[in-house]
Amino acid sequence: MGSELFKIDGLSGFIALFVGIFTLLTVIYSFGFMRGRKGLWRYYLYIALTMISSIGAVFSNNLILFIVFWGFLGLLLYLLINFGKKERTTYTAKKAFIIIGGTDAFMLLGIALVWLISGSFDMTKIDIALDNRFSIMAYLCLAAGAFAKAGAMPFHTWVPDTSEDAPTPVAAFLPASLDKLLGIYFLVRISMDVFKMNLGMNVFLMALGSFTIVAAVMMALVQHDMKRLLGYHAVSQVGYMVLGIGTGNPIGIAGGLFHMLNNTIYKSCLFLGGGIVEKKTGTTNLEKLGGLAKIMPITFITFLIASLAISGVPPFNGFVSKWMVYQGIIDTAKSGGSLWIIWLVAAMFGSALTLASFMKLTHTIFLGQRSRDLPRLKNEPLGSQSAMLIPAVVLALLCAIFGIFAYRIPLGLFIVPSLGSSISITGVWNPGLATILIVAGILIGVAIYLLGTVSKTRTTEIFVGGETLRDVPEMRISGTEFYDTIQNIGILKFFYKLAERKFFDIYEVGTKITFAFNRMLRYIHNGVLPTYLAWCMLGMAVLFYILLK
Amino acid sequence: MMHDPTNIIPFFVIIPLAGAFIISIVGKRLKWLPDVMGILATLGLLSISILSVRFVNLYGTLVYTVGGWKPPIGIAMVMDGLTAFFVVTINLVAFCVALFSINYMERFTSKWKFYALFLLMLGGMNGVVVTGDVFNLFVFLEIAAVASYALVAFGTEKHELEAAFKYAVMSSVGSLFILLAIAILYSYTSTLNMADMANVLIKKGEPSNIMLMVSVFFIMGFGLKSALVPFHAWLPDAHPSAPAPISAMLSGVLIKSLGIYALCRMFYNVIGVSDVTTSVFLFLGALSMIVGGILAIGQWDFKRLLAYSSISQIGYIVLGIALGTPLGILAGLFHLFNHSVFKSLLFLNSGALEYSTGTRDLKQMGGLFKKMPITGSTNMIASMSIAGIPPLSGFWSKLLIIIALVQAGRFGYAVWAVIISVLTLAMYLKVLRYGFFGQLKEKLNKVREVPIFMKLSMIALACICIIGGMLLVYGFGRFFLNPAADVMFEGTKYAAVTMAAVQ
Repeated sequence: MGSELFKIDGLSGFIALFVGIFTLLTVIYSFGFMRGRKGLWRYYLYIALTMISSIGAVFSNNLILFIVFWGFLGLLLYLLINFGKKERTTYTAKKAFIIIGGTDAFMLLGIALVWLISGSFDMTKIDIALDNRFSIMAYLCLAAGAFAKAGAMPFHTWVPDTSEDAPTPVAAFLPASLDKLLGIYFLVRISMDVFKMNLGMNVFLMALGSFTIVAAVMMALVQHDMKRLLGYHAVSQVGYMVLGIGTGNPIGIAGGLFHMLNNTIYKSCLFLGGGIVEKKTGTTNLEKLGGLAKIMPITFITFLIASLAISGVPPFNGFVSKWMVYQGIIDTAKSGGSLWIIWLVAAMFGSALTLASFMKLTHTIFLGQRSRDLPRLKNEPLGSQSAMLIPAVVLALLCAIFGIFAYRIPLGLFIVPSLGSSISITGVWNPGLATILIVAGILIGVAIYLLGTVSKTRTTEIFVGGETLRDVPEMRISGTEFYDTIQNIGILKFFYKLAERKFFDIYEVGTKITFAFNRMLRYIHNGVLPTYLAWCMLGMAVLFYILLK
Repeated sequence: MMHDPTNIIPFFVIIPLAGAFIISIVGKRLKWLPDVMGILATLGLLSISILSVRFVNLYGTLVYTVGGWKPPIGIAMVMDGLTAFFVVTINLVAFCVALFSINYMERFTSKWKFYALFLLMLGGMNGVVVTGDVFNLFVFLEIAAVASYALVAFGTEKHELEAAFKYAVMSSVGSLFILLAIAILYSYTSTLNMADMANVLIKKGEPSNIMLMVSVFFIMGFGLKSALVPFHAWLPDAHPSAPAPISAMLSGVLIKSLGIYALCRMFYNVIGVSDVTTSVFLFLGALSMIVGGILAIGQWDFKRLLAYSSISQIGYIVLGIALGTPLGILAGLFHLFNHSVFKSLLFLNSGALEYSTGTRDLKQMGGLFKKMPITGSTNMIASMSIAGIPPLSGFWSKLLIIIALVQAGRFGYAVWAVIISVLTLAMYLKVLRYGFFGQLKEKLNKVREVPIFMKLSMIALACICIIGGMLLVYGFGRFFLNPAADVMFEGTKYAAVTMAAVQ
C-alpha cells in the first residue's frame, strides 16, 4: 500500500480519549442498570467491540479501513438496541440499522468517487475541490454517513426511537455520545482534510444545521416520554455542531467540536439521570412522574446541572460552546451576505426553546406534585445505586469544569491542538470571573430570600378555587399539558400533523415508496405459466430488436 | 498415472456420476451407504478442486482429451483459472450441503433417491464447467437440469409438483434455445470444440447476423438458467419448493454454473463481447438487481424471500462481470463466490428453522435466538454478509463492484447498486427481526436446536463468510480469483491458450 493505514493526530487523539472515558462510564453505569439480566457477557462484549471499532475508526487514515470500522459500528448498534425489552424494540433496532447501514452504503459510493477523482484512499493525501458535480456528490455521500451517525436531519429519525426503546445505558452510550463523537469527527475530517469547502457547501451545512436545531427542538417540546424527549434534543444539538462546522472559520469549527464534546457530556448525563429515574419508578412516561426531587436529590442536582448546560446557561459548558458557534456565525458576515442573521436567530431561538423544554422536563420529573399513577418505587441495592450515580455525578462535574475553566482545560488541551491553528476568541467572556459573579449573585439572592421572606410565609396545601389540589387529581399540573397548546398554533399545527403521520421520516417514506413498487411488481407476478413464458418471448423479441438494429 | 496433472480433470465428472450410480443400485438396501457416499464423494471433489487450483497456478491451462482423441475431433476437458474457480465454489457448497443433509433428510422417506439425484446434479454442474465442448456442455447442463426438476418435486406435495412443473417447462424452453443456438453455431463454424470454434469465429471476422441471432438465443437461454429478469419467473417458485439443502444448491451454485458460467464462457471466450452485448448485460443485471430486491422485501415466506434475493444478487454479479474491466470481472466473480457461500448458508438456515419449528412463515416465528443460538448466529452472519456489512465477505465484493462501476463511469448503475444494497439490508433485518429477535412465541417454547451435522455445516459456511474478506488480501485473490478473472479478461485468447495446452 505504501501509505499509512493509521494516523494519530490531535483531533483523533482527543476523540479516542473521550470514547474511552464514555465507555468506562457506561460500563460502570451498566453494572447498576443491567444488573440481574441474562446474557450480559454478550452485552459487555458488544460494548467493548464498539469501543475498539470507534477507536479504530478515528485512527484510520485509509478510507477503506475507516469504513470497515464505521460500518461494523452500525451492526453493534443494532445488536445493542436489541437488548431493550419493549414491544417496539425490534422495530427500532431495524429502523436504526437500516438508516445507518443505508447511509454507510452511500458512503461506499462516496469513497469510490473520491478514489476516482483523487486516485487514493489515503485521507491525508486527498484534497478535492468542490468544483464539479462528482466531487459534490462524493462529499454529500460521505456527509450523509456522518449526518446519519450523528443524527442530523434528515437522517435523524432513528435517534428519538432508539432513545426511547433501547436500554438507557445504550441510549446514553451510542446515540447520545459515541455516535455524536464519530459523526462529527468524520464531518470535520472530510470538511477540513479531504475536501476543500466552498461558500455554497458552507451555506448548505449552516442551513441544515439551523433547520435541525429548530425543527428538532419543536418536536422535543411536545413529547410525553422522557427518553424520547431527550432523543429529540440529541438531534437538535447536532444542529449546533453542523452549524459551527458549516461556518468554515476556525472559531466556528472549534465551537462545533467543543459543542460536540459538551453535548456528549451533558446528554449522557441526562440519559443516565433519566435511567436512574426509570429504574426507580419503572416508567419513562412524563405524565406519571413528578415530585421526585426529595427522594432522589443527587439525581436531581446532576440532572439540573446538565439541563442548564444543554440550555446554554452560564457558567456551564454548553454556554461557552454555543457562544463560540455564535461568534463563528457572526464571523461569516465578513464574507458578505446577510444570511448569517437567519442562522444566528435560529440558533438563539433554538437555545431558548431548549431551555423551555428542559424547564418542562425537570419540573415534570422532579418538581411539582407526585402523580397518583406513579407506581411503587423500587429500592435498588446500594451497590447498584452508586454504580449508576457515580457516572452521572462525574459527568455533571465535567459540565461545570468544562464551563468554568473552558479555555484552560477543554479548549486548551483538546480542541485547539486538534485544529492545529490558533483561535482568537473575540467575544468578551471571562468564565472564571463570570462564575464568581453568578455564584455571588445566587448567594445574595438566597440571603435576601432568607432574610426577607422566610419568616413571613406560611405553608399550606396547594389549592385552586378553594379546593385543595390533592382532592382533585385532574387539576394536577404536570407540565406536559402546558406545552400541548404549541401543537395548535396556526401553521405549526399543520406540520405537527404531518410529523405525526411520519411524513418527515426518511425511513417511513422510503418504506412506502418501496412497497408501492412491490405491490406493482407482485401484481404482474400472477403465477400463471403462459404469462411467464410470454415475458421470455417478449424479452427475446426486444433483444432481437436491440442486437439486430 | 497421477504424474500427469491433467488426469484429475475427468474425476470431476466420474466421482459424482459413479457415486450416483452406486447409490441407486445398492442404496435402498444399505441404509448407511447414501450418507457416507454423499460425504465421501463431495469431500473427494472438494479436495481435487483445491488441488486443481494449485495445478492451474503451477502449470497454467490444462486440457484432458477424452479417450486420447485430440481436439477438435475428440471431446476436450479444459481446466483453466475460471473452471478451477467454479469447481471450488460448486464443490465447497456441495460438501456443506451433503453434511447438512445427513440429519435434515431424515424427514423424507427415500433418502437414497435424494443422494442419487443430488450427485447426478453435481456431476452435471461439474461437467458444465470442465468441458471444453459446446455440445458436451449442453448435455451436462441437461443432466443437471433434469436432476434438479426431480429434486424440486422431491417433497411431492401439490405446490412442489406445480413448481417443478413450471420450472421444467420454462427451463426446457431455455434449453431448447440453447440447443438451437448450438446447432446454428455448429453449422456456421463446423466445429463443436469451444477453442476451435473461437478460432474459426476470429477468422470469419466481422459478426454476421447469424452470430447475433446466436447471441440472442444464448442470452435468453443462459439468462433463463441464471434467472435474469425477465426470464426469472420460474425461480421464486422452484427454489423454495425444493428441500432446503437442494435450495441451497440451486440458489448457491446451480444458477451460477449453468447460467452465469456458461454465459461468460460463451460470450467472453468463444463469441466475444461487443459494446451492445455489454450494455445488454449491464441492463439485464441492473434490472434483475432492482426487480429481485423490490420483490424480495415484501415476502413473508423465508425461502421465497431468499429466492427473490438470489435474483437480485445475480444482478450484482452480472453487473460486475459485464463491465469487462479487470476490476469489474474480479468483483463479479468474488461476489459470485461469496453469494454461493452466504446464500447456501441462508437456505440451510431456513431448512434448520423449518426442521425445528415446522414453518417457514416469518409471521409465525419470533425470539428464536434463545432457542436456536447456532442457527441464529449463523443466520446473523450470513445476513450481514449479504447486506454488505463490514468486515464480512459480502462487504468486500459489494465495495469492489461499486468501485468498479464508478471506475468504468457507470454512475447510474452504481447508485442503483447502492440503493438495492440498502434494500437488501432491510429485507434481511426483517428476517432477523421476525425470526430471531423479539419475544418468543408461546407455541415455540419446545423448539430445540438442530442436530450436530446441520450445525457443523452452518458453522463451516459462516466461518467462510467471516474470513472471506481477509482471503481477498492473502493469496486467495492472487491464486484463486485473479486467474479466473484473467481468463475472462483475455477474452478470445482462450482459443490460443487452450489449443497450446493440448499435448
